[in-house]
Amino acid sequence: MTMTAASKTVPDPGRGPESKRDSVLTKILVRQETTLILVMLVIGAFAASRSSLFLSPDNVTEIFRSSVIYFVMACGAGLLIIGGGMDFSAGAVFTLGALSTCKLLVEGAAWPLAILAGLAVCCVIGVVNFVVVTYLHVPPIIATLGTFYMLTGIDNLVTGGADILPLPESFQRIGQGNVAGVSNDVLIAIAVGLLFWFLLERTRFGVNVRALGGNRQAAVGNGLRVVRLDVALYVIAAATAALAGIIYSARVGAGQVTAGGTSTTLNAITAVLIGGVSLMGGMGTIQGIAVGAVLLSLIDNALVLTSIPPQYNSIVIGAILVCAVAVDHLRRSRIYRKR
Amino acid sequence: MAPALRLRGVSKYFGSVSALSNVNLDAYAGEVHAIVGDNGAGKSTTIKIIAGIHRPDDGEVLVNGEELAHVNSAATARKHGIAVVYQDLALVECLDIAHNMALGNLPRKFGIVLDRRRMEREAAEVLRDLKVRVGNVRTPVGLLSGGQRQVVAVARAVRTDRPIMLLDEPTAALGVQETAQVGDIIDRLRASGKAVIIVSHDLDFVFSHADRVTVLRLGRTVGTRAVTDTGREQVVGMITGAVPADPTPDHEVAS
Ligand SMILES: Nc1ncnc2c1ncn2[C@@H]1O[C@H](COP(=O)(O)OP(=O)(O)O)[C@@H](O)[C@H]1O
Ligand SMILES: [Mg+2]
Repeated sequence: MTMTAASKTVPDPGRGPESKRDSVLTKILVRQETTLILVMLVIGAFAASRSSLFLSPDNVTEIFRSSVIYFVMACGAGLLIIGGGMDFSAGAVFTLGALSTCKLLVEGAAWPLAILAGLAVCCVIGVVNFVVVTYLHVPPIIATLGTFYMLTGIDNLVTGGADILPLPESFQRIGQGNVAGVSNDVLIAIAVGLLFWFLLERTRFGVNVRALGGNRQAAVGNGLRVVRLDVALYVIAAATAALAGIIYSARVGAGQVTAGGTSTTLNAITAVLIGGVSLMGGMGTIQGIAVGAVLLSLIDNALVLTSIPPQYNSIVIGAILVCAVAVDHLRRSRIYRKR
Repeated sequence: MAPALRLRGVSKYFGSVSALSNVNLDAYAGEVHAIVGDNGAGKSTTIKIIAGIHRPDDGEVLVNGEELAHVNSAATARKHGIAVVYQDLALVECLDIAHNMALGNLPRKFGIVLDRRRMEREAAEVLRDLKVRVGNVRTPVGLLSGGQRQVVAVARAVRTDRPIMLLDEPTAALGVQETAQVGDIIDRLRASGKAVIIVSHDLDFVFSHADRVTVLRLGRTVGTRAVTDTGREQVVGMITGAVPADPTPDHEVAS
């Protein structure tokens, strides 16, 4: 009885509100991945019933391979969004990373060097985004959209619109080879995913990023180096966009000026949001982002195999995106009670 | 003995708005020093200047007689021995109690890995020492009531165990019983020799827990009184302006 008296003054949320509110619905909402996997199964079952090719090992591999690009970009973009930022320049940074690396390759640079240089160039773009947001006080969406347009112009000017060819075999193997039957690009994506999972869930940096996105003022008040976190996040987002671009050019064997662009930006952000990362910052997981990325390529693939016209692709993805963000709102209102 | 914390002629502008002008305050170790004043009097701004969130435009902040130069973030202020409970609490709703309590000072192992177990153990220990019950330390702060959040914010400041503790309206969202709890915590902090600075609207609370009270009005120091030498009426008069301000000390920084 004394227990009840004590918990009345300061109710114990460990049991009080949670146990009542922890309905099945809440649990499912909290773990967006579970809902997404259900969606995948439904789409998968539909596709498998319409096309015998769908479940073939080659096709499953293809689904994962085409999700690699989305996922690698989405890791950096997702971390940035969790930290309260946004990067719409990703699609152009993607192209810039690919073009810089390919340019160096055709000039005869060794591929590790060319990749590092391509990444470095894009990290500078990340710093530019950070500077415009932080010191010119331009909202992230506008700042990075500006970068997107300018880079798109520069990408075209530098190449004159022509593909950069031919690329050395050693470099192309990054996107085309495999180890024990698992494609290299999938392995790279897994490594990137593990690295980001570790960063977000197991390091101080990850907690600080969540704090920054969850409540920036609280981050400042508790002595977090918010400016340092900001610059790190913008640079990381640019680096993953560049890495995705480099993987893509290795896969297609050319530096294409048309490789990235608006749809690449939007796909990465869509994978992040479908994967349950909150636009409001603070919440989201790498697992969720992975499922979001695979779902995007699964939808692509399923619609092609079932010969549903490609326009439906956009309709389906748009609908899922809207649902995901609506669910995010619902989830927040369930997790956060009004004080 | 030099005051643990001293403000001398502190002024602060937000754009063209003068939030503070010539604020003076001496707070001593082992004492509770209350800051009172009407809404907008500049209490929170004073706290944030001491906390390193804002830089004063004029004047100086001294800790144990030494000027705090280059304090431009909460981290450096903390390094100089200052812990703060902000009026808005500065909690991150999507993080749990343990993470929030360790924010800005997360324990690590092997150099880079977050030491979650130690973080949770320390949080639970502090909460137990303070005899407060807010439930499992893995509960997201977003799930807590206003009172529970306030208690978590106070516990976080206590955890950092700094010699100077600033609490900006620590009882604003609390009921009678929780207010008494925070009052106990403040008494214990004083007994352990800390310099405790509290901002409060609650004069009952001030008179039962503080040793001294400084009144701010429209960004200026009206005066400081020992609680034993003054009464509620005089303090209310100082807050409203019915009682004129004490003559300002002459160490106002030359312009
Ligand atoms: N960040 C800020 N930007 C602009 N004005 C501010 C800011 N913070 C406080 N002020 C102004 O400074 C004055 C003092 O505010 P504050 O210190 O919050 O008062 P109190 O805590 O005593 O109620 C008010 O006029 C307030 O509007
Ligand atoms: Mg205030």
